[in-house]
Amino acid sequence: MTSKSESKEIIENIFFEVFSNLDKNDFSWEKEQKDYGNWDSFAQLNLITFAEAKFNISLTLEESIEIKSANDLLKTVEHHLT
Amino acid sequence: MNLIDFLRKNVENYGDKVAVIDKGKEITFYQLYEEVKKFSNNLDIVNQEEIISLISENSISFIIAYLGIINSGKIVHLISPDISEINLFNQLKSSKSKNIICNQLTKNKISNFNSIKATIFDIEEILFKKHSEKIKFDVNEYAYLIYTSGTTSEPKGVIISHSMIEFTTKNIVKVLNYSNSDVDLLPLPLNHSFGLGCLHTSLYVGSTLVLLKNASNLEEILDSLKKYKITTLAAIPATLTKILTFENKKVEDYFSEIRLIITNSTAIPKKTVIQFKEILKKGNLATYYGLTEASRSTFMIFDKNNHREESVGKCSPNVEIKIVNKEKNNLKLGDIFIKGENVIKKYWNNVEANKNIFESWLKTGDTGYFDEGGYLFLNGRSDEIINVGGEKVTPNEIEKTIKSIPGVEDVVAFGIEHEIFGQTIKLNVIKSKNSDIDKAQILSYCIKNLEKFKIPSKIDFVQNIPKTDYGKVKRFMLK
Repeated sequence: MTSKSESKEIIENIFFEVFSNLDKNDFSWEKEQKDYGNWDSFAQLNLITFAEAKFNISLTLEESIEIKSANDLLKTVEHHLT
Repeated sequence: MNLIDFLRKNVENYGDKVAVIDKGKEITFYQLYEEVKKFSNNLDIVNQEEIISLISENSISFIIAYLGIINSGKIVHLISPDISEINLFNQLKSSKSKNIICNQLTKNKISNFNSIKATIFDIEEILFKKHSEKIKFDVNEYAYLIYTSGTTSEPKGVIISHSMIEFTTKNIVKVLNYSNSDVDLLPLPLNHSFGLGCLHTSLYVGSTLVLLKNASNLEEILDSLKKYKITTLAAIPATLTKILTFENKKVEDYFSEIRLIITNSTAIPKKTVIQFKEILKKGNLATYYGLTEASRSTFMIFDKNNHREESVGKCSPNVEIKIVNKEKNNLKLGDIFIKGENVIKKYWNNVEANKNIFESWLKTGDTGYFDEGGYLFLNGRSDEIINVGGEKVTPNEIEKTIKSIPGVEDVVAFGIEHEIFGQTIKLNVIKSKNSDIDKAQILSYCIKNLEKFKIPSKIDFVQNIPKTDYGKVKRFMLK
């Protein structure tokens, strides 16, 4: 069972992997898709794919579309894990 | 010249020379010709249909039957012994063949296929039938019919004429310097264009052909190199790559007298090419590009001074290749078209497939480009291209990247439907033995090495990837 703090760490790392130019100081849970210069539809797909692989879950299309921040992704993942 | 003329020429020049060796059994050119004529005469038990289907593993009997059918003026429809019932049914329906000649084992197998209504004959039954009457035959314009391996679609019948065989064989001999002093080792099935081309070459130059049943027994291949003083070997890339897992010194010793290794049918890993360039002290590794429909359209000899290890080489003599770029941009990459006397004029009973042949140009379905030196590089098949939200991705590029990850033994990339992007990329991955690699590690590697639209959206670990006997992925079977 993955704890919330573990989930947070994994998701943070996913963001650093997908957005390779993202600085530690620039990451925030609330920062939205529109505030990332390179969070396009492909990056969205990459985030979902990474999360599915790391947490061994499968997100629906509706869930995937709704994710607009790291916090959204965390909430969706936690929903699947509980 | 037709194939029977090839054989007759050898009988006249050196009839007592060994033509074929199979599991210690030998047959001279004279004996082979006599058996071929006998087989043709004995075919009167088969009815007068133009096409006869032949299903057999590699053997001297196969060669006698193949040439015997041709000598009798009929066309040989070549079929793999591993064929499924549905595929056999479809091929017989398309070819209109009503007779099958095969060995006893295959006869037992296909006799149980309820959908097969053709008459089945045992090869040996025809070989050993006593017949005194000598019949004079006229050789047909066409030699054989072969159905393509169906890596991307349903099989298509490819009809090959004697003039195509003569043209292609002369090119093989000219470029790769085959001669009657060669002893050729063939562990490839004779029911495929690659193996068959090797048989034709041996018959044309009068070399000795050593047959093996298959390429999976590496020890047998290596032992045969020494035992028969082999000078040329034909092998698929997978066989060559596996041979490299043996101790280097041992491999160098086995290949010390080899003048040529010819490979084909799927991309050969660059590392394998580089290693064989080192191993072969007196010879070269070579490959070619071609389809059953346009055999041996290019040749590439990997010599030590040419570092184009991923090229399939330059156009064969009197063969033209053009690259057509529909996007009309400045990129050199495009669809590959081939024209030459090695190219079929039509498919067998397939009007739809004939649309790929226009003004003698065959649309191959492959994509590629020429470099400044005139060397052709393949990029994949146009019908395999994955369209991810308008971005075109070739599976080949993804597969090459994934294969370089430690812990991955094999991988295939293909498109799957996606509600937003139209298609996204899926990977089916075979892990190496004892590998504990997981999906997240593969994705991490991808994100560092590929553009973001090329990152797979789904990864499955699988036990096997469906492939043809020649190692080509059967893409239509992927899911």
